Amino acid sequence: MDNIITIKNLKKHYGNNEVLRGINFSLVKNENVVILGPSGSGKSTFLRCINHIEEPTSGEIYFNSTLITNKNIQKIRQDIGMVFQHFNLINNLTVMDNLILAPTKLKIMEREAAEKKAHSLLRHIGLSSKAYSYPSSLSGGQKQRIAIIRSMMLSPKVLLFDEPTSALDPESIGDVLSLIREVANAGMTTMIVTHEMNFAKEIASRIIFIDKGKIIEEGTPTEFFTHPQTPRVREFLQKVL
Amino acid sequence: MDNFINKLVELFTTPRYIESLLHGFLLTMQIAFFAIIIGLILGTIIALVDTAKRSKWMIIPKFVCKTYTTIIRGTPMALQLFIMFFVIFAIRGFPQIITAILAFGFNSAAYVAEVIRSGIQSVDIGQTEAGLALGLSRLTIFRYIVAPQAIRNIIPALGNEIITVIKETAIVSMVGMYDLNMAAKDIGSGQNMASYIVPMFVAALFYLIVIYFITFIIKRIEKHLKKSDLKTSEA
Repeated sequence: MDNIITIKNLKKHYGNNEVLRGINFSLVKNENVVILGPSGSGKSTFLRCINHIEEPTSGEIYFNSTLITNKNIQKIRQDIGMVFQHFNLINNLTVMDNLILAPTKLKIMEREAAEKKAHSLLRHIGLSSKAYSYPSSLSGGQKQRIAIIRSMMLSPKVLLFDEPTSALDPESIGDVLSLIREVANAGMTTMIVTHEMNFAKEIASRIIFIDKGKIIEEGTPTEFFTHPQTPRVREFLQKVL
Repeated sequence: MDNFINKLVELFTTPRYIESLLHGFLLTMQIAFFAIIIGLILGTIIALVDTAKRSKWMIIPKFVCKTYTTIIRGTPMALQLFIMFFVIFAIRGFPQIITAILAFGFNSAAYVAEVIRSGIQSVDIGQTEAGLALGLSRLTIFRYIVAPQAIRNIIPALGNEIITVIKETAIVSMVGMYDLNMAAKDIGSGQNMASYIVPMFVAALFYLIVIYFITFIIKRIEKHLKKSDLKTSEA
């Protein structure tokens, strides 16, 4: 079985509010799964439950074949990178310190090796000149691209993108999307929550559609966009396309 | 005016008065200093418990801390002082200064805890989430991410609390302790100078100088933090 992530009957409640109502899902190596759905459908919560940023109410999540628990999650998070809507670069650290914080504190890399890797990633995205700047001096697009390479510093097996372009101006969106595209094309397994339909169409190997806390449809982009099965998805596509 | 100056000269040239004043000042400073230390340590502990992640181990400690701050902040300082003196430490021969230090320290801790708690909670939750997603431990996240950002919000309010404690110690005169406030009253009484205005004016000056000095230091620290704040605040 080459499932990287297997999810069984995942539920998440906030008090009486059922956000996720039983999600079953599996992610295979090298897949790029795009998660679509109306706002409030639970797609971000779904993503955030996978690495226990939100603690699931019930259900099982396996990484490879290991059941994720509160005890082992911290270690497993090293293999599950995450990119947030609001970037979440650490405000009190320079770009370089943001990049090397986890590898050095987790004693995965020596400082020099981490800095070397950070420099090469920064060079790759054309932001070498910002290595010793603080996040407040960067544009949104720059912050998000740095957040993406930060999530790659630990060489994770999966990258989760939680609406990575929703807080960006139109001009920066393109830069961020092409970096995500590049990462995915390089063989990274990804799960992406997005509202960029064209990007979804292009990058997804599979699309899942979440509505009211359940996956109600899934398929390849062609199936999904040209032959939607459920009325809910047809209605959604009519509105967004 | 002449009378005022004469009295001022009298106060500063009579060793007995000066000694009383300095004795009172020293006591005020001792109580305030140690109370602030206790307040900072105990307050930090309470704030950490209060902001710690909810878990079954933390239910009782969190409840205790919440109850403690609610009671302390909901009752008058003077009453707390009386309770410490006449109930809890109503032990013959127990040093009054220690009772006073504990009373003010325990009181200040509740306020310090609130200041630190709100400082910690004002740090964007996304900062913690980023640390978690990178596989860092809660302790590492606190040490390198949350605490440095929280301190910027905490320092000014903590300065206020320190100043409050210094001034509030004046109520120890209510239990008969000879602090700066009491010294001023004693020197001004009928058996001594028979005029309150000058000793009280001088005592006020003593308080003012100390507090001005502390305000100055806090402002310097704030300025220093602001400098790095310019680099680190959200654009």
